[in-house]
Amino acid sequence: MLKRINKFEYFAPSTLAEAISLLAEYKGKAKLYAGGTDVLVQMKQRKITPEYIIDIKNVPELNGITYSPEGELRIGALVTHRQFAISKNVPEKFTMLKEASLAVGSVQTRNRGTIVGNICTSSPAADTPPALLALDAGLKLVSSTGERTVKICDFFTGPFKNILKDTEILTEILIPDLPENSGGIYLWHSKITEEDETLVGVGVVVSVDNLQNKVCKQARIGLGSVAPAPMRAVKTEDFLKGKILDEDTIGQAAEIAANESLPRSRAEYRKEMVKVQTKRALSQALKRIEG
Amino acid sequence: MDNKINIKVNINGDDYSLEVEPNTLLLDLLRNKLGLTGTKLACGTGECGACTVIMDGLTVNSCLVLAAEVDGKNITTIEGLSKNGELHPLQESFIEEGAVQCGFCTPGMILSSKALLDKNPNPTDEEIKIAISGNLCRCTGYKKILKAIRSAAQKMAC
Repeated sequence: MLKRINKFEYFAPSTLAEAISLLAEYKGKAKLYAGGTDVLVQMKQRKITPEYIIDIKNVPELNGITYSPEGELRIGALVTHRQFAISKNVPEKFTMLKEASLAVGSVQTRNRGTIVGNICTSSPAADTPPALLALDAGLKLVSSTGERTVKICDFFTGPFKNILKDTEILTEILIPDLPENSGGIYLWHSKITEEDETLVGVGVVVSVDNLQNKVCKQARIGLGSVAPAPMRAVKTEDFLKGKILDEDTIGQAAEIAANESLPRSRAEYRKEMVKVQTKRALSQALKRIEG
Repeated sequence: MDNKINIKVNINGDDYSLEVEPNTLLLDLLRNKLGLTGTKLACGTGECGACTVIMDGLTVNSCLVLAAEVDGKNITTIEGLSKNGELHPLQESFIEEGAVQCGFCTPGMILSSKALLDKNPNPTDEEIKIAISGNLCRCTGYKKILKAIRSAAQKMAC
């Protein structure tokens, strides 16, 4: 039973500029705080003992889900899993990210936890990263000295590790439009424990030339919980490109995905499940293109 | 590092002006400062749901909320359900159906059910199961809990 957290100073800035300047001032000693579902657990476990907590929930710039005329979906850092899952601003083509958000934690966790927080914690078992990898999401990182946008495939560096600097805020997720004739899905299954951590998560987006011949123009596959960090199944993606997506090809692709996954514990089972879930995900994503 | 924080919060219909430490959890505020001990501490990490309260209409694990951040919020704990000595239909049904065993999960379980029924007065069994999936009953009395929630939904519809 974990009860106490260390003493700290609490800030609740009301603008992004203020939040960024606090972060620069207390560099390395401050922790950004939104839903608290990961940060407070890490503090109780003494994995982190920040001297300053910067609660960003009052920063209006970090709110909101917007879909641009160019087809880009923007998700602010404060958007919770629940808000995203019930949002009417999210077009159907991005439903797979709703599926991933609904796979996170429990109702209570989804009511508080944010998608951006899920990314920043960088758990290898997180649910939204595989979907966001398949969607080729961009992440906007802002600090007092400037901003940069990185692709999510370049963000994770290891278990609970990423490229975010201690002066940077991940302010928003930018999901580019999908090509015509694309379909996506997130499939997962979990350990049966008190927290139901994801054992294997597979996010897939496939795009075909046209619905008749089903030649794969592009495929992106994100895998969760089967490597030190969420990963793209690049070899599988390369294999699929230009091929007719019939049952045989999908079966072979699933084998390749299993082989390129890098699970450490329960490796044999996890690899087998990567095969099963990738096969299902590709077939079902294809069905979604047909509508 | 001793910046106390002043908050105004409505709990079970009553307004409070309080001074809290930054590292006080909402759970501790409720239990230790306000004596609302119906909200329970069990795992402390947001897995069991024993500390569930309703904040602005949504269930949260109060062991993972800072007291400092509830400024301006409306919070309902299990103590806020009965009105004028009358139990809430959910509380009645939990008793009638024998859905309370050791009782430790019950406040959280009832609040998750209330949050569901407030938004969805006629839920399917699947919807009920999802709504209480963040509340663990170690006596494993889930069937009776499910029955109690169904029965409360019927009562509340009348």
